[in-house]
Amino acid sequence: MTQALLSLKDIQKYYGSARAVAHLDLDIQENEFFALLGASGSGKTTLLRMLAGFETPSSGQILLGGEDISRLPPNRRPINLMFQSYALFPHMTIAQNIAYGLEMDRLPKAEIKTRVDEMLEIIQMSHLARRKPDQLSGGQRQRVALGRALVKRPRLLLLDEPLGALDKKLRGEMQLELKRIQSEFGITFIVVTHDQEEALVMADRVAILKDGTLLQCGTPHEIYEHPQSRYAADFIGTMNFIDGVAEADGLRAASGQPIHAPRPQGIAAGDPVSIAIRPERLKIGAEGFDNTVTGTVVATAYQGLDLQLHLKTDLAAQPILVRLTAQDVDDTPLSEGSTLSIGWAAKDTRVFKA
Amino acid sequence: MKDRRPLYLMAPALAWLTAFMVIPCLLILALAFFRRGLYGGIEYTFTLENLALVFDPLYAGIFLKSAAIAGLSALIAVIVGYAAAFAIAAAPARRQPILLFFAVLPFWSNYLVRTYAWIVLLNREGLITGLAQWLGFDGELPKLLYTESAVVVGLVYNYLPFVILACYAPLSRLNPEIAEASQDLGASAWTTFRRVTVPLTFPGIATGFVFVFVLSIGNFVTPALLGGGQFQMIGNLVYAQFLTANDWPFGAALSMILIAIMMGLLTLQTFASERASGAKREDS
Repeated sequence: MTQALLSLKDIQKYYGSARAVAHLDLDIQENEFFALLGASGSGKTTLLRMLAGFETPSSGQILLGGEDISRLPPNRRPINLMFQSYALFPHMTIAQNIAYGLEMDRLPKAEIKTRVDEMLEIIQMSHLARRKPDQLSGGQRQRVALGRALVKRPRLLLLDEPLGALDKKLRGEMQLELKRIQSEFGITFIVVTHDQEEALVMADRVAILKDGTLLQCGTPHEIYEHPQSRYAADFIGTMNFIDGVAEADGLRAASGQPIHAPRPQGIAAGDPVSIAIRPERLKIGAEGFDNTVTGTVVATAYQGLDLQLHLKTDLAAQPILVRLTAQDVDDTPLSEGSTLSIGWAAKDTRVFKA
Repeated sequence: MKDRRPLYLMAPALAWLTAFMVIPCLLILALAFFRRGLYGGIEYTFTLENLALVFDPLYAGIFLKSAAIAGLSALIAVIVGYAAAFAIAAAPARRQPILLFFAVLPFWSNYLVRTYAWIVLLNREGLITGLAQWLGFDGELPKLLYTESAVVVGLVYNYLPFVILACYAPLSRLNPEIAEASQDLGASAWTTFRRVTVPLTFPGIATGFVFVFVLSIGNFVTPALLGGGQFQMIGNLVYAQFLTANDWPFGAALSMILIAIMMGLLTLQTFASERASGAKREDS
């Protein structure tokens, strides 16, 4: 593999005695769309601020193209940040906002004008170039913030919760728009988000952070289908968990029912385990599955494309969530209170140390 | 029908202002157009002499001098006060109220007492001279008290809390990410200050400046106490016309011009800060 664009080497960050980031190693490639995913307090924002230069790591190195930039002030890094609040300059017009970073680079006036006009075109804001930020909608401000950071052609663009302030419909559009712009410009994007769906949709690779440590890093598919910890499994998407215990010859649910599933390394007989199944891996029927269970439907939620059922079983205290496609449901009458058998394959089952 | 309750609520304040502010001001205005009586008092015949006299080089000079001193005081107060407000706004949030309290604390003591305190500091046997001698300085210190500089120092000191409060408000409301964005885009700390922080907090600076200027240009206590007898500002002149020269019509004419200058500046300042905050209101 070629040298990574960005290398984090054993980064640690302490605030007093509180540890925000612990022994973090991460490589990010040229032209990658990377997502840092974590709940609040996971250290993702601290990490982002260290990359932008607003915080200095307590120890470790940040290498950009092989050069240590850990101590470089923000104005001397070829990295730009799109702030969560957008942080547009309220006293400047849209065009002036976008020109600001180029003026700081002391580019010739003519070149600044060309590049600002170009950028206004790309973010479709040419007609509003003379407006002030306060006169724009949330979505328009978001595009200006993106344009202002992009126009500098940074080697790395950081985006802090870029879609957090937008409504749901706009967010969907902007996810695709960001992806398009990223591939068009060929600039490496690092997005910080707490929204796992956003991370899965946009990113080439996702890193899950928890309590300042890197839990798992991989493609959205790997992260979704092969979570390496109970936390990751729970954090990404929806997951049913069944408490159980590992035995010499297999697994057993707390209810006593044996569960057929691939047993990962490092789990010994007698260990308590969490058995996890995605709702969409559960199918209706009592025959032909590695595992089956029968229960009572306690709630249904029809969502057009699919139907979600809450099934009360002996396996878990919580009802099991089943996600069926519309075709599955057509010939089975399903209502609250009816009895239903479901089954799933051993290969779709994940097992974690509890 | 429009809700009239706000009007009722404002009535007491309006009545008070009318009785004790608007009517006296109108009286002063009227007074300026009458002749002075031979032995003081007022002769009720119309004249423009009083107003014309204000523009006599002797008196116009005092106006200009007062404006220069007020302007210098306002400038120094704005620089010192803005720096203090900046520091307070940058302090940890829970410590800001106590810092502001200390900044404003001198305000709660008597104006005269505070001004006399400066006499103690500045006079020939005062603390500053004493300190200089104690540090081994044995030459002659320049005269400190009863100078223009002493008046400026006194005015700056007295009105500084105004400026700190006026500048603190916009500084503390400033989203810190905006200054960070400037740095992120390649600006140094100084450029960020000059191109982002100052323009965004300009309404506070303007308010502070106009307040200090307006309060200083009409002040007569500080020039009398720290400027000594030989030094006059416009406030002292007005004071003298009413209380010693017994020329009420000329005193009224001076006051009128002074009030006109103040009103003009305050209107400008209100207009400027309205415009600055007007844009912000549109998006909510």
